[in-house]
Amino acid sequence: MKILIADDSRVMRQIVVRTLRQAGFGDHELIEAANGREAFDMVNSESPDLVLSDWNMPEMNGIECLRQLRAAGNDVKFGFVTSESTPEMKDQADAAGALFFIVKPFSAERFDEVFAPILG
Amino acid sequence: MSVEVEVNENDLAEMVEQVWESYLDPEGVNPLIPTYDENQPSEVHSSVSITGSWTGHIVYASSTLAARRAAAAFLAMEPDEVSEEDLSDVLGELANIVGGNVKAMLPPGALLSLPQVVLAPEATARFPNTSRISGVYGVWDGEPVSISMWQSRGDNHNKEGAE
Repeated sequence: MKILIADDSRVMRQIVVRTLRQAGFGDHELIEAANGREAFDMVNSESPDLVLSDWNMPEMNGIECLRQLRAAGNDVKFGFVTSESTPEMKDQADAAGALFFIVKPFSAERFDEVFAPILG
Repeated sequence: MSVEVEVNENDLAEMVEQVWESYLDPEGVNPLIPTYDENQPSEVHSSVSITGSWTGHIVYASSTLAARRAAAAFLAMEPDEVSEEDLSDVLGELANIVGGNVKAMLPPGALLSLPQVVLAPEATARFPNTSRISGVYGVWDGEPVSISMWQSRGDNHNKEGAE
């Protein structure tokens, strides 16, 4: 599977990659985007199977990226890895079609719990 | 109108502890040891602002060495391998993580900014019309680290157009 990690923090992208490996998902192809706009473009150009996106990013935030993907008819599996988690944000994410909501700081156990059913 | 903040020092300490457990001290051997000294020195800092149901700033401040060690822990590398870009990125992410968790405890309608990083002491920062309402102050491996909350004064909202 190809997994796209979108976060404006390069360090956080590295931590997401490391945590995926720790959780046993290191064999998948991992690609990265530095903001929502780049993620949107890469979903179209790279056709990932799964997107792990930060919420708060410059250029285009994560929820806007998801909404634009869905508006364009793209149903890639998409979820959030973010430091923010309010009920209103979770509602917005659900309404837009997000599969999961992981809150920073996160653990390898949390990744396993969320991604095992998706990545197998 | 800004509400009374519902995030106290214990909440802030718990968030900080989670950051240490997840990233800075996963083996539990090097925790942040409280000093309760809100005037401890810093050399670098980062902040996020929250606006809406509560308005203010969350500030992470530390010595340069502590920031370098934090970046090294985040990136699983040695402190002397950390670039200035890594250091800034990690400082921003630390403010972002704590700020995001603070926001989650606030009433609906709060917006979190992107982080601002300044490689200069917290004392050089000026947050107009704010007062510090809470903070966690400690030393990490002998180096100062603090996380504090600054609330905008409520009367700020009643002075639209005024001097």
